[in-house]
Amino acid sequence: MARIGVRGSAGGLQNEGLKELVYEHRKALLGCLSVTVFFVFWETFYEFVELNEMFMTKPSLIATGLMALIEDGQLINDIGVSAAPFFIGFLSAAIVGVVLGVVMGWRTRVGYALEPLMTALYASPLVAIAPLVIIFFGVGVSGKSILIFVLCVFPFMFNAYAGVTSVDALLVSVVRSLGGKEKDLYLKVIVPSVLPYLVAGARYAVGRALVGVIVGEFFAATAGIGYRIAWFSDMFEMSRMFVCILTMMVIAVVFTEGIRWAERSAFPWRDGE
Amino acid sequence: MASYISATNVNLTFAPKNRAPVNALNDFNVDVAEGEFVSIVGPSGCGKSTFLNVLLGLIPPNSGEMAIHGKKIAGPGQDRAMVFQEFGLLPWRTVVDNIGLGLELRGVGAAERKSVAQKFIKMVGLVGFESHYPHELSGGMKQRVGLARALATDPQVLLMDEPFAALDAQTRDLMQAELLRIWHEAKKTVLFVTHQIEEAVYLSDRVIVMTKRPGRSKRIIDINLPRPRDYEMRVSQEFNELKLEVWNELKDELNQRGDD
Repeated sequence: MARIGVRGSAGGLQNEGLKELVYEHRKALLGCLSVTVFFVFWETFYEFVELNEMFMTKPSLIATGLMALIEDGQLINDIGVSAAPFFIGFLSAAIVGVVLGVVMGWRTRVGYALEPLMTALYASPLVAIAPLVIIFFGVGVSGKSILIFVLCVFPFMFNAYAGVTSVDALLVSVVRSLGGKEKDLYLKVIVPSVLPYLVAGARYAVGRALVGVIVGEFFAATAGIGYRIAWFSDMFEMSRMFVCILTMMVIAVVFTEGIRWAERSAFPWRDGE
Repeated sequence: MASYISATNVNLTFAPKNRAPVNALNDFNVDVAEGEFVSIVGPSGCGKSTFLNVLLGLIPPNSGEMAIHGKKIAGPGQDRAMVFQEFGLLPWRTVVDNIGLGLELRGVGAAERKSVAQKFIKMVGLVGFESHYPHELSGGMKQRVGLARALATDPQVLLMDEPFAALDAQTRDLMQAELLRIWHEAKKTVLFVTHQIEEAVYLSDRVIVMTKRPGRSKRIIDINLPRPRDYEMRVSQEFNELKLEVWNELKDELNQRGDD
């Protein structure tokens, strides 16, 4: 501050203040900068190169497409159609995955028995079974929900499993020595130990659920954001297809960043986060 | 001397599945008078920490009698509290909530917990850190929380399991002096396990030397140094003679290869 005082001029002061502001938010600013540069480059590229609208598009056309899709309500409608299986599959995966993971963590033999199978399933690209799931359960909400469930159950399960096995035995001793009963061990040690693992699992699961939505709707659907991507692609409506893709992108970012934010505010005791 | 903590012929054998049983304690005896500060020193793995866990009520012994103030020990009780080597603070709780844990488990209301916690925060010198989480504290501060948590339940007996072993040397010296001050203030009976001879001599009224496993009490050495004790005392001839005496008892018990 003294340095600014010596320099004295109001212009200098303003400049310093701005510099400080930029420095403070440099992480967000640089992040936005790269996104902006990407779109500006994309747009200007087609100022010099001829654009074949059958195969490619550019940001200004996407923006126009976005306006049109919002105006006729189609985009909102598609998001609504996709949301139902997303939430059904995601939430049921959370419940089943957490229960399975907790049992695997507590019952060593169940853990030993299930771990190799579950690891193999988690590691394999399960979207490959999408056609089979659709044949079995149909093109409606149930088929898509089940596909999303299958994709999401593993991150929940493995994180619950890791969470339970990571419970610090010393903390169990501490609570027991101070007169804690079984109920206190659950509420004061086990649940708080496992929760951060579950939230981290949810973050992975969101990404997989969105893949499930799109793939499920690629195969068979009559509406929904994934269906719309495939449909616009078949129609050579590149701008509108990109509207849908970018919408998915925004939704994915909102969900994962939202969970990350919730993590930070719910678990302020986590190191370095 | 009326014994306040008494343990008579305590035997404990761990029998892990598919492995040879480990005889941890063999007819172990301890008697501690009210308000006394007694240390147990012994070679690594001699069962001294295990004994504290038995006394705490977490590990039932195979045989033997243990009582505090005439009351038999069968499981954890309100008359005892432990300070753990690795602190054992709940990472998701702030300093004040960690200190209030014991009272919370007894069903004490939030307002009273807070005022009791505040009193001990003051006693251990953590004013201003009430809302800090354990990961924001240094090792010495963490153990201050551990000590305050144990004291907050107002136990008659304080069990301390190598409480300063995880701290650096200077912090350890500081914490030893702090512990003596708090011990004077809180007037507790302390049973203190350590592998550090100097620490045992500096803090204690008596030092119990344990044999190697299976642990028995080998000799009890009275530390007749005046109190209050200060740091200068550590360089006195008397102090060093007592250290040597403990060392002479202990050295035959140590594994000559220097491993456990």
